Amino acid sequence: MDLTILTHAVPLTAIICLVYSNSRFELPERILRSALVMFIKTISFLGVLYAFLLWLSR
Amino acid sequence: MRNTRVNLKNPLIAALLAYLIPGAGHWYQGRRFKATIYSVCILSLFIWGMILGNWQPVYSQLVYQTDRVTPQMEKKVPTTKFSFGYAAQFFNGAMALPALVQESRLRNEQVRIDHLDSELESDFIGMVSDFSGRGDELQIVTGTMIIAPVNPSGGEAVTGTLKASAADGKVVDYGLGGQIQLGREVFGSPRREIECRIVSVDGEELNIDKTLRGTISRGFLNWYQAPCDSQELDRLHGDLSRKFDIASVFTWIAGLLNLLAIWDAADGPAYGYGNEKPEDDEDDDEDAPKKP
Repeated sequence: MDLTILTHAVPLTAIICLVYSNSRFELPERILRSALVMFIKTISFLGVLYAFLLWLSR
Repeated sequence: MRNTRVNLKNPLIAALLAYLIPGAGHWYQGRRFKATIYSVCILSLFIWGMILGNWQPVYSQLVYQTDRVTPQMEKKVPTTKFSFGYAAQFFNGAMALPALVQESRLRNEQVRIDHLDSELESDFIGMVSDFSGRGDELQIVTGTMIIAPVNPSGGEAVTGTLKASAADGKVVDYGLGGQIQLGREVFGSPRREIECRIVSVDGEELNIDKTLRGTISRGFLNWYQAPCDSQELDRLHGDLSRKFDIASVFTWIAGLLNLLAIWDAADGPAYGYGNEKPEDDEDDDEDAPKKP
């Protein structure tokens, strides 16, 4: 498995979370808080999914 | 519903600016923090994709080969199909608009593949074909080509030289002549196809038929975001592997994210200002406002 390809997913997720939250709210604190929560949830989900696929491909 | 706590100024102008340059619409409205996030995130994602994909993931049309000649060497208007990825890339605004200009240039170009206007100097990658009747021989060569029309005002007949080294490292001076075949000026590949005759090798005139086929450099403005063919996409996949697919996806996502920015510039934030009372907020994901 090429891990360098997977590393692109982290900053990409951060960008998507920031832009999405930016379009939902107006206040900077609320935007950043919402983006952080969304980022943690998304990365956790991707991590679990990746671990599951890795386990399946053993 | 439009948020009355945000001054959107002229929403139409803001949306147009947001489309052209990510974040510009919000800057115009005085929403500087949001403008910075939009521009930094969307521009960097788009540029990141372009760098990963050798600046070639954006093209509006895919050119099809309809004859025995390659699309670059085809004289008539090429047969093309819309690239669906461009439907998303289009929303990157000014960064993706050159693709439409290049498409128009490709369609309206007066193609003269058997004509050279002026002297041309470029690196060359290609092969020497020997059709002497003793069986075809192919030799791969790379080097520097200088070629010019015999008639200074331009024409089919050309003369020139190619200082090239073969695969075995041997350096040879080829004298070039005959009629030229030169690929389209505008095409989505940094390499331009060329074909001509070899008339001498190391100053010694040939009495057998040798042909030089290969590619020379094409100017950046003539290939950037121009329609390309499946042969060029195969080459990119060969060189970049999955990176080219990731690059394409990044440019699509950048365009789709800018759609959110355009909407925000025209209609304000989707869920509200962000400091509404807790009882007005939805409690499931802390994002959407609660319905009464």
